[in-house]
Amino acid sequence: MLAAFGAACSGDATNGTTGPSLIPSSCTGINLGPRPSSLSLPQSPPKSMAILGSGLEADRYTGEIAVRGNLAYTTTWQVRKAQGNKVDIWDVSGSAPQLVDSVIVTSAITTGDVAVSDDGKLLVVATEPSPGSIAVYDLSGDPRKPQLLSRFTNDQTAPGVHTAELGRINGKLYAFLSIDPSGAAIPARLVIVDLSAPASPKQVFMKIAGAPYVHDTHQRDGLLFVALWNDGVDIWDIGGCGTGASPENPRIIGNVKTIGGEVHNIWWYHDPNGSKRFAFVGQEGSGSIGASSRGDIHVIDISDPSAPTEVAFYHVDGAGTHNFSVDEVNGVLYAAYYNGGVRAIDIRGDLSVCQSSQQVTDGATGRTRCDLRLMGRELAIGLSNAGRSVYVWGVQYVNGSVYASDMINGIWKLGAAK
Amino acid sequence: MLPRDSVVAQNISVMAQAIPLVTRADPTATRSALTEGYVSQPALMAHGSFDWLQFRGTLNLEGLTLKRGELSTGGYGEGYVDRRHPHAYIHEALIGAQRSIAGFEGSVFAGRGFAPFGSDDPMARPFEKFPVNHHLAQVLERVVAIAAVRKGPVIGEFGLFGGDEPTSPSASPNFSRFGDSWSARLTVLPLSGAEVSGSMAGVTSPEVHVGHGLDQRKSSVVARFSRQAPDSWRYGLLEYAHTDERELGERVNTLSSILGEAAYCANGFVVAGRLERTDRPEEEQLADPFRTPRPANDLSNLGISRWTTVTASLSTPAARLGIAAMRPFVEVARIAVGHGSPAGIFNPELRYGATRMWMVSAGIRLRAGVMHDRMGRYGVALPPMDMGSGVPMSHPMPDMPGMSHTSMNATSVGKCTL
Repeated sequence: MLAAFGAACSGDATNGTTGPSLIPSSCTGINLGPRPSSLSLPQSPPKSMAILGSGLEADRYTGEIAVRGNLAYTTTWQVRKAQGNKVDIWDVSGSAPQLVDSVIVTSAITTGDVAVSDDGKLLVVATEPSPGSIAVYDLSGDPRKPQLLSRFTNDQTAPGVHTAELGRINGKLYAFLSIDPSGAAIPARLVIVDLSAPASPKQVFMKIAGAPYVHDTHQRDGLLFVALWNDGVDIWDIGGCGTGASPENPRIIGNVKTIGGEVHNIWWYHDPNGSKRFAFVGQEGSGSIGASSRGDIHVIDISDPSAPTEVAFYHVDGAGTHNFSVDEVNGVLYAAYYNGGVRAIDIRGDLSVCQSSQQVTDGATGRTRCDLRLMGRELAIGLSNAGRSVYVWGVQYVNGSVYASDMINGIWKLGAAK
Repeated sequence: MLPRDSVVAQNISVMAQAIPLVTRADPTATRSALTEGYVSQPALMAHGSFDWLQFRGTLNLEGLTLKRGELSTGGYGEGYVDRRHPHAYIHEALIGAQRSIAGFEGSVFAGRGFAPFGSDDPMARPFEKFPVNHHLAQVLERVVAIAAVRKGPVIGEFGLFGGDEPTSPSASPNFSRFGDSWSARLTVLPLSGAEVSGSMAGVTSPEVHVGHGLDQRKSSVVARFSRQAPDSWRYGLLEYAHTDERELGERVNTLSSILGEAAYCANGFVVAGRLERTDRPEEEQLADPFRTPRPANDLSNLGISRWTTVTASLSTPAARLGIAAMRPFVEVARIAVGHGSPAGIFNPELRYGATRMWMVSAGIRLRAGVMHDRMGRYGVALPPMDMGSGVPMSHPMPDMPGMSHTSMNATSVGKCTL
């Protein structure tokens, strides 16, 4: 076995592939592409990502970020001097983001999530706590001046919409809402909303899910990855497998329970060579906002979507991960790491193959995984040199820059790791 | 058959109480002063015995009178903050058996009630306001089974229970979780009227009804003294309580409390003082600043705050009419709040507009029937009461048929009965 690892790791550091494309029997509508080659990378200390500028938000705690073009939208969270009912709109064309406008979302204490539709026409904001809702804004006129189109709320979303992700299936736009639990009687749930008529959103599906939370989803190519906390990651067919499943009638393909649970968010990586074998899972452990956090990045191999397996992980002492963004062309995953700033990780190649010295066996489960840090994949760290405490909620890579939403300070613009 | 058994026949006692009061908190979570009136601690208590079988029940009606919670600056728990939450309607409902075998006295109790941990319930102590440390120093309203053994001056207790705390006064416990938590308490009675106890507990996911929340490892050391005569009473309690919150077996938060309180009664006047310093985990808030989501939306907190409270209380002699009594009182608390460790983003100036606060209450304790001396111990775990002679009233007197061990811990009449 060790010889096999050695052979696998002896190749050059190119971003190639090996073997034929894979069409999994559990989802014949998806081509997972060839298996990526394994890479052997030298160990070197991570670089510091260049800080290009920042925009200050001192009255509210900043939440998630969504960037499109030269504009960034950042949400706000809980109560500082004011409550988190505001979405800040930043012009990020220069080095330092400039606050150009904002939107107040009524009846919200937290506007925890924000997303822009793939066509740039809609901005969707999730609100907590009760009455949980999504606010749908029209960006097609002036994206600096979002116009409220509709506010969707019902009994199913009432406890609070934790996240709202957007995805297009067969040309139709949907929002995937992760709903908070409430008390003993109302468990967490996933609600799917048809946004094809954004002025009148329509719920098309609901499922109780998560133990005890469902915190986020990730939709791509008709597969929906659902973050189910201690129930792990579900992979749902919502139209990608060609079986007739749809957002209105999803089909569960598979599930994986990552080590430690606490599954918060997912990103399914498509590399430039067409390989789609790996997804990245964020674990949201406990923390003290502004001071500490916990939780690793877990890498799952979905070559068999009906039985994904965890193959690798990334750990930072004293800090935990939150949301991701991926520069897929260059194979870099950017992770918000709360008090740990931003982490850039090289995710090219086969992440399931590593030398024995790069493997770590989990004490609780006995499972062995590759350690991305020991594999030399920690490329860069952002905001460790910010000169003040940071607590990074979200991150987004766009055209060579990385934008980070910092709960304490507002928004940062960083140079990409490569 | 031991002599003791021959004198335990039928016994039943019933008590009703309520405390109408007015409280002014200045300032409180609204950043302003609030004055409110309530009927606090309305309860019906009963205990009875038939031969070796015993019953204890407390119906707490705060769900009807304190739905919004009672102003209690610094207090927290069960989705309330700076207000004390209403307790469950079924505060206690236990049946048990008590026997003497081979020189040991033993008892077993089961039902809903107090786990054997920490100090007496604040409801049975000299102050109307609960201390901040209620959720560090007691474990109550759980589905529990307790075994206790007493030999001479030593009492040992062990309890198995479900870790879930109530989600509302009327919510059912999660019976499937029975046995996921435990506690043990060792009590030594070195002198008449004095006791020293140490206890430990492992409480699984108390704040998430279905499980998967942070677990708690708790410890407590309590020294208590109470000596009562028909027209006087001396009481003192010194307590240290500590809770580690754990995630995946690792400690993530530490919360400590030290509390001392004393009371003295002469000629019916009761003067009491309490000094407390307690750590409190800060949580997200709902639209109502006195409420927090239950369950919380994740496992993080906003930091730890540290509360130092000095409370003084004065009660005038009770007016009695038959079995009913009414005792007016006034209670004043000076409260200081600062950063605990870690401070996180908690900022008392932002939340309260101040770091020093007052709380003043005035009310009347209304009571009818036989007062229960202690709350939180069952069967042989209930130490004997010193009635002022220096001789503990731990055993029924041979010439007092019908009076059980338990009933001797009920103070029927006295100028100093609270």
